[in-house]
Amino acid sequence: MPELSKMKKPDVKVVLLGDMNVGKTSLLHRYTERKFKDTISTVGGAFFLKQWGPYNISIWDTAGREQFHGLGSMYCRGAAAVILTYDVTNWQSLAELEERFLSLTDTANHDCIYAIVGNKADLTDPNAQLSQDSDGVSQDQTECEEERTEPQVLSACPTPPASPASLSGMVLHKQVTHEDAVALYGRILRYKGLEEKSSLPAEKVCFETSAKTGYNVDTLFETLFDLVLPSILRKRNENQESPTVDLEECRGASSKRAKSTCC
Amino acid sequence: MERDNHQEGEAQGVKICDSPSESNPPADTLATSLSLLGNHMFPDPVERNDGTTVVKEEPADLHLSDVTAQEQSLDAEHVSNQVKKLETEAAENSECQNNESTETTERGTEDAAIDNDQSDSGEFVVTMLAKAKLEEQGIGVKGRSSPLLEAGTQESPAFMSHRDEDVTADSWRQHRKHVFVLSEAGKPIYSRYGSEEALSSTMGVMMALVSFVQSSDNIIRSVYSEEHTVVFLQKGPLVLVCVSSSRQSEQQLRGELLYVYYQIISMLTQASISRIFEHKKNYDLRRLLAGSEKILDGLLNLVDSDPSFLLAAIHCLPLASSLRDSLSQILQKAITPNLVFSILIAKNQLLTIVQEKTVIEDTRLEPADVHLLLNLIGASSAFQAGEIWTPICLPLFNPDCYFYAYISYLDPPECTVCLLLLSTDKEAFYAVAECKRKIEEAMVAQNSLSLIAKAQSYSVSQVGVSDLRHFMYKPFDVPDNYRQLTQFTSPEMEAPYSSEGEKMRLLDLYRYMHSRIHSTSRPLKLIYHVAERETLLAWVTSKFELYTCFSPLVTKACAITAITKLLRWIKKEEDRLFIRYPPKYSTTPNPSKSSRGGKSDQQDSTDNGFLSLL
Ligand SMILES: Nc1nc2c(ncn2[C@@H]2O[C@H](COP(=O)(O)OP(=O)(O)OP(=O)(O)O)[C@@H](O)[C@H]2O)c(=O)[nH]1
Ligand SMILES: [Mg+2]
Repeated sequence: MPELSKMKKPDVKVVLLGDMNVGKTSLLHRYTERKFKDTISTVGGAFFLKQWGPYNISIWDTAGREQFHGLGSMYCRGAAAVILTYDVTNWQSLAELEERFLSLTDTANHDCIYAIVGNKADLTDPNAQLSQDSDGVSQDQTECEEERTEPQVLSACPTPPASPASLSGMVLHKQVTHEDAVALYGRILRYKGLEEKSSLPAEKVCFETSAKTGYNVDTLFETLFDLVLPSILRKRNENQESPTVDLEECRGASSKRAKSTCC
Repeated sequence: MERDNHQEGEAQGVKICDSPSESNPPADTLATSLSLLGNHMFPDPVERNDGTTVVKEEPADLHLSDVTAQEQSLDAEHVSNQVKKLETEAAENSECQNNESTETTERGTEDAAIDNDQSDSGEFVVTMLAKAKLEEQGIGVKGRSSPLLEAGTQESPAFMSHRDEDVTADSWRQHRKHVFVLSEAGKPIYSRYGSEEALSSTMGVMMALVSFVQSSDNIIRSVYSEEHTVVFLQKGPLVLVCVSSSRQSEQQLRGELLYVYYQIISMLTQASISRIFEHKKNYDLRRLLAGSEKILDGLLNLVDSDPSFLLAAIHCLPLASSLRDSLSQILQKAITPNLVFSILIAKNQLLTIVQEKTVIEDTRLEPADVHLLLNLIGASSAFQAGEIWTPICLPLFNPDCYFYAYISYLDPPECTVCLLLLSTDKEAFYAVAECKRKIEEAMVAQNSLSLIAKAQSYSVSQVGVSDLRHFMYKPFDVPDNYRQLTQFTSPEMEAPYSSEGEKMRLLDLYRYMHSRIHSTSRPLKLIYHVAERETLLAWVTSKFELYTCFSPLVTKACAITAITKLLRWIKKEEDRLFIRYPPKYSTTPNPSKSSRGGKSDQQDSTDNGFLSLL
């Protein structure tokens, strides 16, 4: 029997955006179900409620296909955090974030947090190839450790010998570097008219993940949830000031009010 | 025998309805194109038995045609080999236009001869193809003698994608049914097997064929060879092609292509597609359909394995009428403005459907639209814990605008009971999601989920008629429902039809019977067909369409008695087997006829936003 989600009123909204096939659904699935399984390209958007301590966080996993482009701004309305996802092996997927997805976030909250996430790191980063679910990150990879901090080195040396990477033979040329993502973050802040000084630093919101191995996935979501806490608390306060606002009213109204901060 | 047949086969050719005499120049070009096509698709002629026929004609009714022939008693027998066919009319002459390649056995000698001798009767004209060329190329592959006995045995309806397939391999060629979609400009859009890129040369040849016929103001409709039927369907700027060795009728194959077209429309809308190609003739539609291949793959697998598509009717899960009514009432109470359909599905079958009064007043929900919805749900529910919100067009309801579909499973993690709510308001997600909470709550209160879990399809043994193995019954007379929702009922397929191969074989037999019943040239009311391992009887009246399958030794008289019993049983169980009175609600203060109106809701078809990206 499903527990009634009626009781759960979402406190805050997080949206996953990014081109098709970058792994948005896989990331969310890894986080919520602790598994990596076959996905089907998402249609429209899928809504999830995640219990985070005493809070309910709603997460929208959106479709990256152009076909569903116009719905993006609706999913983003009132978002407290947007996860802009790209595929580290696919430069175009990073470019798409700026060209196609950034404008969709115009409907998000003014204090919305933007995270830039390079997924499929297992294909480029030997550290990301180890499953994080079973053991902690293994220690015996000192030679690769360096490459992780300086990803360009890796592309110069596509098959480092005697690393787990060479075992799988899957290390590809990295097409998007961490620096590229950081640079994009800077441009996003500028687009939003935000001061770099007063905003979250890039190190805090630029991630490289692997839905396949679980690498950095929990870190990504949990960091973000922590970051949106103030937003949650503020909203809870607002609601306490008007205790008569019940879920139904809130939900029904949200579709009417153009810039509702609700849900 | 093969030799004779071969001679006959040479005489087959192009059938053109309105340009009878200009045979040679077109035939040359056409033959060249056909040869090329043959080269691409079937390069290894095994036997040079190339009866190839091209049919062009004015578009006919693509759907199930009305049956017009008089009902007659069983009075003639037509025996060929071990297969005995008994039809309402003696299989005399003037059967020529009947281009069914599904003729049971020995199609070769007899039928080919009939085709040739008589094809100038009626509206068709046979034109000789440049036969020498065709012989060289050998479109036909292996000379099978009895398609009905063999078809389907190698079928594997497993849901899988074949994108990576090597299109030069034999296995690729041997797929039972290929489906291709291309743009009018010849750009590949979809291929069921293998990637479109790898197939671009094949598609190019098909395009050459199509444009050749378009240039002479005709629409090419189909090409027959001994082993394959190639059917073309042009819809707006899209060209759909089916290459099938399934021995289905052209009409059936065209119906299947139409489903593929509608599924594409359901994702993009007809208006958007026209607009895209108006702006840019050689637009690559794969840009917009990327990611949707699995939906089309899934549809084609369903079309092959689920008779709902053949019958153009909906199969609902049998349910005590009291339970169905209570579920309907739950749906009826959980409403919000602009909600137009509330649909409850279990095990991929309909439980109940409730609809908005005004939207649907003057019309009914077409089974095809429901099939497309069910397929979409099946293909998009990999991640079942979430609540999905997606635009969807119901092409038969209105091909030009979107509804917004809310899809959610009510019984995670099993995910067998699915709620589908359709709204006309793009922004209504939270309001519609709230309807789901209400529905969920009410279902918990009434313990509906565990009652639904007990519901299941029925066994044919419940009918209590020995020798009856399976049936499909599509009524036209269930009070108040046919007009709104065309349905059929059918028991589980049980032994000897439990394996996938045997299921497919039975379905092929049904498809054959169906093609005879619905033949445009010579529709039949009643067919008694003795096949090798079973006996089938198909019967259509003004009140129903019925297909039955008996053990092989049943006599005609026995079968008739059995059917009488079956009909009585169905009548008795009617309330449980069908959705009797689809209930309604009212959610639109000012009726949103817009969704129907077409023009009035232009904005709806464009504001999905992708057009701005072109
Ligand atoms: N190697 C690797 N493959 C991944 C990873 N994450 C996802 N994939 C694969 O990438 C493909 C796309 O993943 P999805 O999660 O469906 O992508 P999506 O972003 O949700 O795509 P849309 O729903 O179409 O927008 C699938 O084949 C996944 O198996 C990853 O971390 N590593
Ligand atoms: Mg997805």
